[in-house]
Amino acid sequence: MSATTFDLASLDFDAIARRSNQARTQRVVMFAITAILALAWVTPFYYLAISIFKSNAEYGMGSPLALPTSFAPVLENVAEAWTKAKMGSGMLNSLLYGVVGGAAAIFIAALASYGLTRIDFRGKGFWFMLIFSGTIFPLQMYLIPLFMGYNKLGLTNSRLGMMLFYTAVCIPFPVLVLRNYMAGLPREMDEAARIDGCSEFRIFRSIILPNCWAPMATLFLIQFTWIWNDLIFSMVLTNREDARSLMNGLMVLQGSYANTTPNVVMTATLLASLPSVLLFLLLRRHFMNGLKLQSL
Amino acid sequence: MTNDRPAIALPRNWALPPGAPSIDAMIAAERRRARKRLWTALAFMAPAIGFVAIFLLLPVVFNLYASLTQWAKFSGLNQFAGLANYQRLASNPKFFDATWNTMIWVAVSFVLPATIGLSLAMLVRGVKGEETFKSIFFLPRMFSATAVGVVWYYVYANEGIINSGLRAVGLGNLANRWLYESHLATPAMIVTHVWQQVGLMMVLLLIGLNALPSEPMEAAKVDGASRSQIFRHIVLPLLMPTLIMVTTVSVLAGFTSFDLVWVMGRDFPNRSTLTLSVNQYWESFRAGYWAYGSAIAVVLGIIAMSISWSLGALQHRLDKR
Repeated sequence: MSATTFDLASLDFDAIARRSNQARTQRVVMFAITAILALAWVTPFYYLAISIFKSNAEYGMGSPLALPTSFAPVLENVAEAWTKAKMGSGMLNSLLYGVVGGAAAIFIAALASYGLTRIDFRGKGFWFMLIFSGTIFPLQMYLIPLFMGYNKLGLTNSRLGMMLFYTAVCIPFPVLVLRNYMAGLPREMDEAARIDGCSEFRIFRSIILPNCWAPMATLFLIQFTWIWNDLIFSMVLTNREDARSLMNGLMVLQGSYANTTPNVVMTATLLASLPSVLLFLLLRRHFMNGLKLQSL
Repeated sequence: MTNDRPAIALPRNWALPPGAPSIDAMIAAERRRARKRLWTALAFMAPAIGFVAIFLLLPVVFNLYASLTQWAKFSGLNQFAGLANYQRLASNPKFFDATWNTMIWVAVSFVLPATIGLSLAMLVRGVKGEETFKSIFFLPRMFSATAVGVVWYYVYANEGIINSGLRAVGLGNLANRWLYESHLATPAMIVTHVWQQVGLMMVLLLIGLNALPSEPMEAAKVDGASRSQIFRHIVLPLLMPTLIMVTTVSVLAGFTSFDLVWVMGRDFPNRSTLTLSVNQYWESFRAGYWAYGSAIAVVLGIIAMSISWSLGALQHRLDKR
């Protein structure tokens, strides 16, 4: 490198300052636009949050966005929502369906992915497509046959029937993800164990599974939320309160105008949404990782 | 058997070492091992195959069959009817209205979620507090469509936010019964749907944007390209695969959405005309026409598959280029 003669005076300081000023204004404008949009985005949530603190009379009067005059009515609202929407049993049912359905589906998907990636056999593509074909049909195509079949088998209104279906519908997507993930694990790990005479199930349990907890946890979050939020299958496969999911109970509560008021329905909505929303806020990183899995 | 042997040119005086099994025996042993591996693999896949076949594929097949029969919930009679259910579809004005509204859903979800999601992604990217904004825009996704439907049902209500907001700024004559009028209900629900879904599209597009190589953009910047030029000629083409994926997700989610429409459509005079998925539920489980409802489900299936196949083919063509 030769010494460069550098004439400070040749720099146009005004232009540089202008440009950095311009960049700053641009940043501020971008921030302002984003903030205004975000404000508009949360307005429905704000509406939801204040409505649960209003009594029925207060809800009916004044602006719907006005702050509540006192926090007291929330207790009454919660009590009324809880009993009228049978939220206790609804929460337990939804929790049962989400946890059992999600966990069983992901374990079964992990087994299948092991078979698809760690064992050599002909026709892998066919078997994979057979499992994955569970995702290409719109859910509406399952409703009538499931309803009729469940009626015949006596599975309507049964928690077992709900868990079985949720397990099935949550299997194909995790198979896609876990198959890709397991294919990336080095083959040497299980080859060594195989030469030592380990059984395939032992290899799956002790070598592959411990290496897959991260994507499995993320997949569990996705499938749990899906089951928790589902409405239509609970509507079709249950019509009694004891097996009804939480979202179904909420839908029924909203429909019974005669004996419920908007503030109570809003309270039930917030209560029913809290678990999945809290899960998201606590485990945001895992959810975002899950979306990365989805977009691969 | 012998013609399955690998075609390797062996030296003239080649021979197996003494005591080794014959080549045929080795091939047979390898076949046995392959068969055993197949059975082991099938044992691992059996639960998945069983669940999918019984709870998902069998119903689809049965649905196809049911759509070709004469079958009502109440009379229970069951006989082959050919395409009679499909003919009934073609002449039913409710089905026509539902299809028309569904087409609006499809057309809108082709365009809006991807474009708004991309705008949000470009806006949010690098702004101060990016993570917080991302979470805010994504938050509606964490609520169920049922919960979102309930909240927006009250947002659109007579004394809800929208109407009282309009009255407050002196536009009271624009206040409306949004979810009651046939020309307003579908657009109003689509607004809610987009509000809920667009955060997901934004996050997916941000993942795509962050995965793009930075060299082409820097090279263009050095060459003096403006920001809009870089966006149009470099970012957009590179982002195309992600955009197509996002569009596929949003179109399929849009036109099969049931929960939201069902909950928000409570006051609509004829709920069964709102969308095809609601029409299908109504005809099957409220009116009790099982075979007819199966035919609607088949139509939905055909639309869904043609959308995902054509977008998949587009994706494939882009990949090859």
